[in-house]
Amino acid sequence: MGYGVRASAGARKSPGTSHARKASTGWRSWRRTSAPDTSPPLLRLCERGTPVVPHGVSLGLGGADRPDLGKLVALAERAEALGAPLVTEHIAFVGSGGPLTASPRIEAGHLLPVPRTRDALDVLCENVRIAQQLLPVPLALENVAAFLTWPENELSEGQFLAELVERTGVGLLVDVANLHTNHVNRGEDPATVLDELPLEAIAYVHVAGGFERDGLWHDSHAHPVTRPVLDVLAELCARTTPPGVLLERDDDFPEADELAAELQAIQAVVTRASAKDVRTGVPQRVR
Amino acid sequence: MSDDDLAAARERLALAQHALLSALVAGSPPPEGFDRRGLAAQRRALLTKRAHVIAKVAPELREILGADFPRLFRAYAQGRPMAEGYRRDAADFAHHVLATTRDAERRQRLTVWAARQSDSTPEKHGLLGRVMSALKKKGS
Repeated sequence: MGYGVRASAGARKSPGTSHARKASTGWRSWRRTSAPDTSPPLLRLCERGTPVVPHGVSLGLGGADRPDLGKLVALAERAEALGAPLVTEHIAFVGSGGPLTASPRIEAGHLLPVPRTRDALDVLCENVRIAQQLLPVPLALENVAAFLTWPENELSEGQFLAELVERTGVGLLVDVANLHTNHVNRGEDPATVLDELPLEAIAYVHVAGGFERDGLWHDSHAHPVTRPVLDVLAELCARTTPPGVLLERDDDFPEADELAAELQAIQAVVTRASAKDVRTGVPQRVR
Repeated sequence: MSDDDLAAARERLALAQHALLSALVAGSPPPEGFDRRGLAAQRRALLTKRAHVIAKVAPELREILGADFPRLFRAYAQGRPMAEGYRRDAADFAHHVLATTRDAERRQRLTVWAARQSDSTPEKHGLLGRVMSALKKKGS
């Protein structure tokens, strides 16, 4: 189990990438190569033997266009510099417009859900293959949180993810807080999604805090983890033992003991649900 | 699947995504079939996120504008989509405030900040990054 933060030191030089620090069992050892554009705190973590996973937020692999090669190359360079065992991104689009629509390109500034249609799946699979060809390590993709449901949806979330994995061999970064978000906001039952997922494709798992307002769940990464999110984690762990679990926290950091208590609560869920032991990482902020 | 089929799928997806995103950030009418409450929540969330990131990318702006930052940023960003990343967005926001505020001290500080920004355009890192950047410029 581990604890992830956005590496603010690296944000200026390489927009669109955050780093998940992960201490867990069963991960390939890392090697360090020298490269510019890698912040000293991250390299210190690497020197201590902590696997560091670049977590992209701006590739928009679920978008209509082919992925930006410059961003892919930057991600590949970063993965090599950090000796990352894998890199992760999201199943999302982050902008639209451009030549395909004959209108100026606009940015969302955040992750938006893709329609679960055959068209979107075909495009996503092709984009994932392009990314896989350029990346030096395996890619895993995360399910996103959403407020919106596309009226065009043809597949369930689980079916969409399962077919994506089958066609590309991509790994899954399952965010249980996002499953909870979509339960509250879109009425999608996390247990049903988990039932349809190819469990063997799970690379690791995200947990995060949030809050409910006016009947909608906000996946803030700045609030304590709540019981319903831990319940979804328990559902997942009842089906498989995840290779690792990471608590995402981006803002309003609590005191260390409060954070440690959150990690213990997560650990307790994993331990209760699975026979195998999962080592607990010591929370540590990257500065 | 043939290249033509995939190209057609890209085009259909592009139009669908652009219709939604335009409704969320550019003030276009929403595409049919979306839940109004979800659209409103997503619109607010994108705006909040954008303001939050700008405050982090350009903490000086947050400091200069103080308690007015959220209100001024909303006024700037509503119906004005981000097109070229957060740094450009921060600079455009500063210029927008400069054009609309009469507060002399604020104007002076914003002018100094904006001048400093245009002096420090970040360089592309790594040989591959520079090559990709050059290729992209050539292609566009």
